[in-house]
Order: sequence, then C-alpha cells, then structure tokens
Amino acid sequence: MGAAARWPGGARTVLCVTVHVDGPSVEAGRGLNALGKHSRGRYAIRRGVRRYLDMFDRLGMPATFFVCGHDVETWPELYRDIHRAGHEVAAHGYQHEAWDLGDAEPGLLEKTHRIIADTVGEAPVGWCSPSGRKTRLTLPTLRRLGYRYDSSEKDDDLPYLLPAQDGAADFAILPNNTVSLDDYPMYVDGQALAAEVLENWVQEFDAIHGGDGYVHFTVHPKAGGGSGVPARAAAAEAFLRHAQAQPGVAILTLKALADHCLADPAAWRSARP
Amino acid sequence: MTRTTLVTVNVHGVGPEAASAPEDELFGKLAHGRYTYRIGLARLMESLRRCEIRATFFWPVFEAERCRALLERCLADGHEVAAHGLAFEDHSGLGDREDAVLEQAHARLTELTGTAPVGFRAPTGTLSLRTIPILRRLGYRYDSSFVDDDAPYALDGDGGAGMVELPVSEGLTDATHFGRRMTQSRAEAFLVEAWDALLATDGYACLTLHPRADLGVGRAARLVMVERLFDRARRQGSDFRLCRDVAAAARAGRDA
Repeated sequence: MGAAARWPGGARTVLCVTVHVDGPSVEAGRGLNALGKHSRGRYAIRRGVRRYLDMFDRLGMPATFFVCGHDVETWPELYRDIHRAGHEVAAHGYQHEAWDLGDAEPGLLEKTHRIIADTVGEAPVGWCSPSGRKTRLTLPTLRRLGYRYDSSEKDDDLPYLLPAQDGAADFAILPNNTVSLDDYPMYVDGQALAAEVLENWVQEFDAIHGGDGYVHFTVHPKAGGGSGVPARAAAAEAFLRHAQAQPGVAILTLKALADHCLADPAAWRSARP
Repeated sequence: MTRTTLVTVNVHGVGPEAASAPEDELFGKLAHGRYTYRIGLARLMESLRRCEIRATFFWPVFEAERCRALLERCLADGHEVAAHGLAFEDHSGLGDREDAVLEQAHARLTELTGTAPVGFRAPTGTLSLRTIPILRRLGYRYDSSFVDDDAPYALDGDGGAGMVELPVSEGLTDATHFGRRMTQSRAEAFLVEAWDALLATDGYACLTLHPRADLGVGRAARLVMVERLFDRARRQGSDFRLCRDVAAAARAGRDA
C-alpha cells in the first residue's frame, strides 16, 4: 500500500501531535504533595497547557491531550478549555499509575473514563499507558468501555488493528515513539539542549516523511524533563512549523486517525505485506 | 597497515525482556523488541545490501526460531550467522548447565542454518571460566565478547587454544549511546570518534549494531546515519570483513 492510498486525502504523511499533560497527578500517585521541587507538574497547570493551547491556535492545528483523571477532577475548567478549543481529550491513568495495579486496574480505568466524560461532556476513545506498561486486563477493559485505540506500543512505524474479539469491534494500535519523537528521554537521560532535540526531531520527521509517513510526536507541557518551559516550547513550535511546511502533511488527532484505519479494517489489520 | 571494519549485528528482539517475564505479559515499553521482527531487522538488512556490506549476525536461538524467514534472508544475503546463546542466558551463572546450553544452542543453530557456527558472542556479555573451553571443544574458532583490546588476539591463555578473540568496542556500539537516549547527532559523534581512532591505531574496528528502535539503529532516520558512517569508513580506507575471515587470518598470521 503506497502512502497516497494509505492516508486521508492522499496525504504523504500524517502528523499526530500528542500532549501528555502529566500534572500534579504524577506526584499525587507517588504520595508526594505538589510543593517546592515537586511542583514540576503544577507548571503544566499554571503555564504549560495554556502555552500549548496558544501555540496550536497560532499554528491552526488539532492535538490529542492525554490527561490523568485526578488532574481533570481538580482543575476541570482547564480541561473543558482544551476540549472547547477543538482538541481531543484522551485517557492517561488516574494518577499516572506506572506500576502494576492488580485487580484494581479495571476500576481505575473506569473511574478516569467517567471523570473525563462527565467533565468535558464527551467520552474518551483513546488511551495511552502512563508508563508504557500494560497488563492482560488493560485492553479488554478499554474495549468494554468503548475505546477505539491504544497508543502505547513501540513495535512499528505504522498503525495496525487488533481483530475483533469477544463481541468487541476492531481496535487500533497507534504506536508512539518514546525514543526519538518525545521530549523526556533526550532531555532527562540524554542531557540534550533544546536545539539538539529539535535537530533530532527534524531528522526523524524527514526520514519518516520520505518513508512510512506516520509521525507521532509527544510533548509534556510541564517543567523538569518536559517541554513546558519557554526554551523547550520554542523548540516544539519550531518542529511543528517545520513539519507543517512540508508538502503533503495532514495533521490529525489520534481519534481521527484511528477512525480512518478502523473504516478499512482489511487494509490495516496488516499494514505491512 | 590494512584497515578493516567488522560490522556485527546482535539480533535482539523481545528476547532480553522475555528472559525474565512471560512473553504474553510484554507490552509497550517492555515490547520494543517486536520492532525488530516487524520492521527493524529487514530494514537493517536492506541497508547493508544497499551498501554492499556483508556482516556477522549473532543469532540467539530464541530469535532465530521466530524469525525463520529473516534468518533465511540473512544467509541468502551472504552474511555470517554466529552463535549468541539459547535465550539470553547469563553465562557466568549457568554452572553445570553451561555445557548443555551451549551444546543445544550449537546443535539447533546448525540445524536451522545447515552450517555449524564458528563464532560466539555471549548473549548478556558475561562468561564463566568454562565458556571458552566449552566453545573450543565444540569447534568454535573465535569469540567476540571481550572489550579488552584494540585488535584480535589469541585465546590460548584463556583455555581456547587455537581460538581468537575479536574484541568489541563499547564506544563503537549503538546501544551504548542510544541506551542513554543520546540525540542521534551526539551518538553519531561518539561513534565517529571511536571508529576513526580505532582504525588509526591497529586498523581494526568492530562495529556493533542492534535492529531495535530503542537501543539500536532500526529506525529509518538512524539508518541514514549508519550509511553515512559506512561511507566515511570506506573513504578512510577501511574494508568490511566477516568475523570468521578475520579470525582465520589472525590465527594464520600468528601460527605462521
């Protein structure tokens, strides 16, 4: 399948911009208050999210915000603003649980689902693991709740579908890239400058634009390892401007991409020959 | 001084993670290895073909069993297939089981490829005092697990009479830099400084690559970088040779 046949409107590349808000829920989940040096997540609430909403408004592009249930119930108005601006609000754990929840997992997934649906008035259909982990319970629970995609896998450069099972419909896997199209790893572990991270993102974009054509880009609007602060937000904006300026780039929410793939299951169950 | 680069590939999929957890519990960040099967390994082999480079692939039996078509292609492309354990064992801790593990891996890889491997790389980088003697008994000609020299050397003093060590360079290994989530350009700079200096010292450079997207170079953008580095080594007068050929030449030079 050629790229032109693959993407909506014959685009050469789709760009999905995802914002992992990761507010004080992260600290709350670890039993910490959000004060002092533990206020990196509060930066997202006070500054980062609005900075990105303004940026997306300037650039005229939609994004997918992955949000934690605890943040949404604590600052509902901020999340309603995200939704009102036309962005997708998707689920990202209750308190960014990065550990095995055992039998409590389905209940927490359902709790966050209800909080998001009740707050913004629309039920989420997408989920991304707060830690990159899943269990055997995760996908069956999400499918039961009506989710249509997961974006936690790192095993391909193209979306693919899991077949229908147990009465649930097809389900889309929209792989993310926490290695080289994310901010955290290169800033925290790689100790890179914003300019270096920007260069790496552009290298990734250009290689993908000449190949598979699926760019899944992730930023965290917080302080610490994220891209909320001015120097790093500027790098993210420069990247988005670079991507937007290339020919044949369609910018979609993950939900729109999932629905595109789910509409043609035969083509997407095995996107690779 | 002749200049030679050994391109070596550690064929790692989900094997490293599957060594300590049931495979059906590996999702997301624990399943980066599936990128190797879905796309990374095929892409790396395409890149080597484009650059007309034959490489030495170290295949754990665990990965060879699930990538039969890719293993066939590896052989058809003229690459060397060498041994890399059964399923990511820590050889320093196998104790009495080590003979059986190495024998089983040797027999199965021979069966899958039709040829007995002559080279070995420890799957987790660790050996016991008995590993080299067991490999010698099984007919191996070389090991490539040590990081203690800039050129091949004889393993006679380590219980491997007649065998050669083809040392690895950590600085010339993709996972050293990408495992620390270096940006690609920084990783490239690290690889260049190690590679240039090794070629200038004893004319021997052992490049080690992985087909995964996290620790390795399976990503499209990273293979662009790797191809640029191959060109650079060629311009500096390096040829590219298989481990088995370099081991045989090193032994012949010593025994002559």
